[in-house]
Amino acid sequence: MAFDVDSYAETSMGVTWQDLDFDSFGSQPLSQDTLRTLSYMCAVEYHTVCYLRDLLVTPSHKERDVNAFMTMWNREEYWHGEALAAVLARYGITVDYDELKAARVKLEWRDKLAPLKQSILGNIIGDDFVAVHMSWGAANEWSATAAYRRLAALEQHPALSPLLQRIGQQETRHTAFYATQARKRLEKSKMARTLTRLVLAKAWRPVGSSISEPEDLDHVMRHLFSGPDGLAEIRRIDANIAKLPGMEGLTIFETAVRPHDMRWPAPDPA
Amino acid sequence: MTRQNLSPEVVPAAGFSVREFARTAHGSHRASLDLDAYREHPLDPDTVAIVDLLARLEHGALSYLRSVLVTPTHKDARVTAFLVTWAYEKYWVADALEQVVAAHPAPQPGRGISRTKRLRLGLAERIEPITESVVANLIGDDLIATHTAAGAVDEWITQAAFEQLRDRSPHPEFVATLDRILAVKRPHAAFFAADAGDRLAASPPAVRLARRRLSRITWPLGSATEPPALVAGILDRLLPASGLALIDARVDALPGLAGLHLASTAAQKARKAAGR
Ligand SMILES: [Fe+2]
Ligand SMILES: [Fe+2]
Repeated sequence: MAFDVDSYAETSMGVTWQDLDFDSFGSQPLSQDTLRTLSYMCAVEYHTVCYLRDLLVTPSHKERDVNAFMTMWNREEYWHGEALAAVLARYGITVDYDELKAARVKLEWRDKLAPLKQSILGNIIGDDFVAVHMSWGAANEWSATAAYRRLAALEQHPALSPLLQRIGQQETRHTAFYATQARKRLEKSKMARTLTRLVLAKAWRPVGSSISEPEDLDHVMRHLFSGPDGLAEIRRIDANIAKLPGMEGLTIFETAVRPHDMRWPAPDPA
Repeated sequence: MTRQNLSPEVVPAAGFSVREFARTAHGSHRASLDLDAYREHPLDPDTVAIVDLLARLEHGALSYLRSVLVTPTHKDARVTAFLVTWAYEKYWVADALEQVVAAHPAPQPGRGISRTKRLRLGLAERIEPITESVVANLIGDDLIATHTAAGAVDEWITQAAFEQLRDRSPHPEFVATLDRILAVKRPHAAFFAADAGDRLAASPPAVRLARRRLSRITWPLGSATEPPALVAGILDRLLPASGLALIDARVDALPGLAGLHLASTAAQKARKAAGR
């Protein structure tokens, strides 16, 4: 599967919602559970710029296609944040720039270490580390796709469901870019495969877990992925990861999400 | 001395609506470039070389973002929201310039800098983010003023270059493209200058840091890895002394930054590096 960055850039746009009937949020109110999940998603979307920072301290910033994608991608994610903030605003929930600043400041100690470690690691191992980032990015985007798909299914809502669908379509394009990049780099290098497998297996956590309270993460995981339908969705995205070269048999999503008291059937004996 | 320099109710560059800026962002310019005009009436090779350099400098937005995002500046969601759209607009400015260059015959090889130099510069670039990150995190919020002031100075220099190109060009399609580019870039300088101005006014340590850091930068941003003769082509030949003085006067007008002479010093250095 090829990914044409030029045509992606040409067609990249901020997600729109002005044509959707937002008054239906008054006549058909969203549940408290959904609002809490949306708040989490909104913060994660706005926070994408910090993830861009982690990517850019590695050699990947030198590559032209990667640059073009990152520029467009980051802006699309910003608009996902804006769109969800517009929904939340209908319920008097404001996600403004100052609150976001507070969330980022709170994380200071962890934040300070992250780019440093990645910069050292990234520059030493070079291109193989780019494969890790691309695979990690693919994992994040697959999980975002799954989350929006589940929420759209849980809330059959005349304004929210189409909005989530639009966001989800953009997440799918993000997935295509990351997965294509990851596959290309993993195929080329055994070191890249070993490193990526190690990092994904040991370090992958649900997107946003580093910027949110543990209770909120618990809520979101259970709200979106509990029960057999949730597990099926999780297994579906785990199967995507497992299809990447050298990642056969990995179950990073199921492993990361299971501890959240998911009311899932017991794991298959391996 | 507290770390939080601004009282909570003061928002730097409050008069600039970041949401409105994001909402009205300018994307691709391709449809309005009229590239056929260059096949009939090409720009002269020196101008094409300058346009090519300006395209690379505009593409430097992500390098700037990298340097800035490993510091506490990344925690300011208003600044980062601005930078997301700024990088997007600069991407398309660079793309427009590249399209214009591509409408001309390819330049002779051997114009660039040597492979050894590129490797050396590349290595320096690889080390820099690490040291930046350690140092910058010790310094804290005061660094944001340096970053936005640097953004302002860079925009003032490159915009002056675009203005000179426009004023000297007899080529109507090129002039129209440059006008469009300048319209996109003017708000960038406005945000950076307003943000830096408010932060510098509120913090003497931010002023000291900015004075020190800004003097050490090779202007415009990204030009350190470019051929000196090309950089001199912009700073020394394209920009008149009065243009450099105007940029320096704008820097002088930022709180505490008087007397740095960044643009005129950069032009002198570029002239020397180019061996003239
Ligand atoms: Fe998103
Ligand atoms: Fe995404």
